[in-house]
Amino acid sequence: MMNLAAYLFISLVLFLCGIIVIIARKNIVAILIGMELILNAAALNFVAYSRYVTHHIDGHIFPLFIIVVAAAEAVVGLAIVIRFFQIKETIHIDDATQLQS
Amino acid sequence: MEYTLTSIAPIVLLPFLAFILSALVVKKSDNLAVGIALSGIVGSAIFSSRVFYDFVFGVYSKGYYIHKVFNWFDLSYGDLVFKVDMGIYIDNMAAILLFMVTMVGSMIMIFSTYYMKGDKFGYGRFFVYMILFSTGMIGLTISDNLLSVFMFWELMGFCSYSLIGFYYQKESAAQACVKAFMTTRVGDVFFLLAIVAIWSVVGSVSFVDIYAALADEKFAGLAIFGIPLITFIAISIFMGTIGKSAQFPLQVWLPDAMQGPTPCSAMIHAATMVAAGVYLALRVYPILEAGHILIFVAYIGGITALGAATIALVQTDIKAVLAYSTISQLGYMVLGVGVGAYNAAFMHLIAHAVFKACLFLASGSIIHELHDHHTGGHVQEMPRMGGLRKKMPLTFIAMLLCTFAISGFPFFSGFVSKDRILGDAFVMATQHGSFIPVAILGYAAAFLTAFYMFRMMFLTFFGEPRDKELYDHTKQETLLWNRNMPLLFLSIFTLGVFYSGSFTGQGLVKVAGDRYEWFSTLVQKPHVENFKSYSKSEFNYEDSITRNFEKSHYDASHGMSADKAHHVHHIHSIGAVISIFIALGGFLLAFFMYFKKSINPWASKFAWYTKVLKNKYYFDDFYLGGLIQKGLLPMNRFFAWIDMGIYDRFFIDGWERVLAVCYSAAGWFDRIIVDTIFVDGIGAGTRLVNVILRTFQSGKIQFYFLVGFIGLAGYILTLL
Repeated sequence: MMNLAAYLFISLVLFLCGIIVIIARKNIVAILIGMELILNAAALNFVAYSRYVTHHIDGHIFPLFIIVVAAAEAVVGLAIVIRFFQIKETIHIDDATQLQS
Repeated sequence: MEYTLTSIAPIVLLPFLAFILSALVVKKSDNLAVGIALSGIVGSAIFSSRVFYDFVFGVYSKGYYIHKVFNWFDLSYGDLVFKVDMGIYIDNMAAILLFMVTMVGSMIMIFSTYYMKGDKFGYGRFFVYMILFSTGMIGLTISDNLLSVFMFWELMGFCSYSLIGFYYQKESAAQACVKAFMTTRVGDVFFLLAIVAIWSVVGSVSFVDIYAALADEKFAGLAIFGIPLITFIAISIFMGTIGKSAQFPLQVWLPDAMQGPTPCSAMIHAATMVAAGVYLALRVYPILEAGHILIFVAYIGGITALGAATIALVQTDIKAVLAYSTISQLGYMVLGVGVGAYNAAFMHLIAHAVFKACLFLASGSIIHELHDHHTGGHVQEMPRMGGLRKKMPLTFIAMLLCTFAISGFPFFSGFVSKDRILGDAFVMATQHGSFIPVAILGYAAAFLTAFYMFRMMFLTFFGEPRDKELYDHTKQETLLWNRNMPLLFLSIFTLGVFYSGSFTGQGLVKVAGDRYEWFSTLVQKPHVENFKSYSKSEFNYEDSITRNFEKSHYDASHGMSADKAHHVHHIHSIGAVISIFIALGGFLLAFFMYFKKSINPWASKFAWYTKVLKNKYYFDDFYLGGLIQKGLLPMNRFFAWIDMGIYDRFFIDGWERVLAVCYSAAGWFDRIIVDTIFVDGIGAGTRLVNVILRTFQSGKIQFYFLVGFIGLAGYILTLL
């Protein structure tokens, strides 16, 4: 019998994985992937609470929005990364220093 | 004819302006400075002649006075009144003195153009001092209060210092000017004390306020050190007179003051400075009277008159004889004040100023021409003169007239004035036994005056020339406007007719009638009752400056009954006859001793006394050797020891040590607390905070994210 806590635990693991990836990895693409993990963790939370607590349709609709926004965000992010790579010939995060004085 | 300030102020402002201008130009041009100074004093004489005319012949001769008050400064605070007023006060006495000072001053300064011409110590510089000196005397004459009198008094003190020390390269002149200054200072200190004492009672030092206070009896019952305050004030003011008018015992400065040029001697010792002391005594006569010290004044005057006359007997320097005769004549004036011969004392002041100025100028005329070709200096010693009558006839005539005047021969000014003083002394002696010595001193001095003056005349002008070479080198006198004119002009005014229409002493007033006694009717004692309940606020500094006051009527009988007055006049007549015979006796004695040489000079018979006289009664030795060496110097050393041994050592140095400890403590506090902890500590703290904060601003986006995440997590944890 799977209950709410299991879903929340999975969501937490996903979230922490995403955070760790964002903080620890130097690859910009990996960081984008980490951000997708965080978004998915949030979406899972919505669904889990909708299923076990509110019994309402709203929580099911919200992940759809999140998936769409994540797709759009991934497009923009990857576009930035590609452009960055064209200029710098690297996708190392520490080289993204143009805005520093 | 109303007086305004513009007709009075130039009398004192013109000489002062001339002083400033001549002092500015004296370095550029001597002649210009001399011209400015001369025009200053002559202009002042012209302005004062109007005042003189109005007060003697004109509208104000019946008893007005001019009084104008200016507020100098006002430091009043609440009920405490501290207001100092300067003012002009001119009555008949001041008007006459003003005219005398400016006229005699003009004559002396005209003569100075002859005497000082080409002087290597400064022809122009002399005139700068002289004009400032005249300013001081004129200002003193028209002062309305004791404070401005004191200021002008000190101004003259300074000028006399400068003039006596005019030949500043001469050691004796340098010492003489310091001596004159310091000796008069002794009297000035008492004078200042008296001013303060008067201020403390009256609240003002104006003459009219003082008269009013005397009339209102404000001084009654006040005492200081057990003596009545008014007596203390009177003695203190009279000490000022003693110092300035060279009375016993402060007479020592005047003979030494002969170190100055001769015209300045005429100025200081005849016309101005020494007269200031007597003038002050006359102005504050009501105080002297109220203080009951007139007998003291009379004795001081008598002792001075006789003592100085005796010293003059043995002097061989022509200027020294005149100097001692000046002291002697000043003694007469003070004696006159003491015996209540108010107008006679003032008349003697004027008469003496004229004939003594003339005598000094005449001696200057002689000295300037007697040029010693061996030493290059001028000759003042009478033993080297003699027979100069033929070489200098005009000087001789002027000097002879003045000698008649000073000796008290009838029909000369000295007789008119001196006889009144002696006559009043004689009357006082017949009424009060304590005044008998005063009269004797006066008559003895009169005899000696005639004797030593004619001794001087015979030694100088008569007989055979004793220094043949000097005589032959002397030029024959010709009439010079600046040499002989002042002498002859002044010698005219030695005639008694200018002072009294009756030509005689007071004894014969009844015969001649009051209307000939113009001098005596003009100058009267200030009657304090006229000023009773007087308030200065009546003046209020507005423009109306002439005021009427009821002058005490001239009373030939001195307020005595007709019988007694007749008796007194009788005594006066006797006194007048005695003084005529005394003057003749002095003349004859000198005639036989120094002209006929029929009587041997008594110097050998009275050798010890001659020695005493030559040493001026040992006053100088006593003051210098005794008072100063034995008294003042040890006292000064004692005070110096207190100052350096105790005060400096314990208080100054000890305090320094206390301060050093305080300073080192303060320095420690500064270094450790302020510098190290506050200043450096704040710097170090800032740097530490900086290091901490800098680590957060690494520029790594992931680090920022981590910090943001940890912060968010922490915030959420607090919510749980």
